[in-house]
Amino acid sequence: MKVIESKGITKNYFRKQVLKELTFSIEENKITGLIGRNGAGKTTLLKIIAGFIRESSGKMDVFSETPFNSLNVSVNSIFVDDQMSFPPALQLGELLNEAARFYPNWNDELAQKLFNYFSFDAKGYHNRLSKGKTSTFNMIIGLASRCPLTIFDEPTTGMDEAVRKDFYRALLKDYIDYPRTIILSSHHLDEIEDLLEDVLLLHNGKKLLHKPISDLKEWAIGVKGASEDVLDFTQEREVLYKNSVGMNTQYVVVKNDFSEEALSKAHHSGLEITPVRSSDLFVYLTAEAKGGIDDVFNNN
Amino acid sequence: MQIAEWIESEILNGHFQSDQKVYSQYQLAEMYTINPATAAKGLNLLVEEKILYKKRGLGMFVTCEAKEIILNKRKNQTLKHLVQELVLEARRLQISDDDLFHMMRKEMAEEGGK
Repeated sequence: MKVIESKGITKNYFRKQVLKELTFSIEENKITGLIGRNGAGKTTLLKIIAGFIRESSGKMDVFSETPFNSLNVSVNSIFVDDQMSFPPALQLGELLNEAARFYPNWNDELAQKLFNYFSFDAKGYHNRLSKGKTSTFNMIIGLASRCPLTIFDEPTTGMDEAVRKDFYRALLKDYIDYPRTIILSSHHLDEIEDLLEDVLLLHNGKKLLHKPISDLKEWAIGVKGASEDVLDFTQEREVLYKNSVGMNTQYVVVKNDFSEEALSKAHHSGLEITPVRSSDLFVYLTAEAKGGIDDVFNNN
Repeated sequence: MQIAEWIESEILNGHFQSDQKVYSQYQLAEMYTINPATAAKGLNLLVEEKILYKKRGLGMFVTCEAKEIILNKRKNQTLKHLVQELVLEARRLQISDDDLFHMMRKEMAEEGGK
């Protein structure tokens, strides 16, 4: 079953087009990573899915209805980020009680256990928490609500390494026990890729690709060796990344549509063929045409 | 796929016997903090290679010929690949065949002497 169906979604903010004709769907009970660089349109897309804002054109369906102004979508989904607003007069313990009243699948045992594990004070206040603690508290609400559609927008902002690891593990364990549709947005693909089933890659408001993470890992290969051999092997192919190493050696990343024989032949002729990490591939695919950071420092 | 390789090693070193049940995709997902779908892909790879078989509703089990299949596979793929690498590197370093054989024999003797 499709939980989210986006057909030609476009969003304009004044003169700027933030999302461009986005068409995709997300199946029930999958964990999807929404990956994109700063300003790619991740948050805007997630807010449209959650029904916080309206698309400019196109059609968004969540649980087969328009999310904007839908009580049904509101009750069955949660949007977690570091800006979640809570009533400032309520203490953290009271916030948990209120969340329990609103979300039908709320699990209080999980909420309390996580609350204690991360050493929160029930009498503390949300607006006095540090950045990392704010994210951690919001994450607890996100997990314990067990919403059929759970959206985490950059959930680990400010969290230290240990808390991030705990969060990923908690998310996975609770997902195994209570499968639900989860979207996790991040620009740190290497950190979350093990958790994901699918990846949706956004670049400048457009869908770059949407596929299983396992396919993404095999999508491209790196070829390294003597420049002329590398160029010969990769000619007439779209080069995703190119780097000169030393005098006459090149490393080139291309889409992997070679046959097993071709690869093994290349290897025998002295070329080094290596898999490309999905996080590196993400950087190559979303590189701007302006060259690299080195060009900024290049005075010639 | 690291999950598949790990289960293969567990079968090779005798932790899983023929007709014994292996971990489910959910157990593997928990152990390695990975998506259960990824774990399932690893298991299905082993089913395709006839190292595991499915019993509907019961889980995945080790086939009788699992050990033999894994041994053959490692010999014909992994070991062959390592030997290729060895020969390639020896050529790059312009080491004569005799020297290479000598190095291998020496290594074998040291390994055997342990």
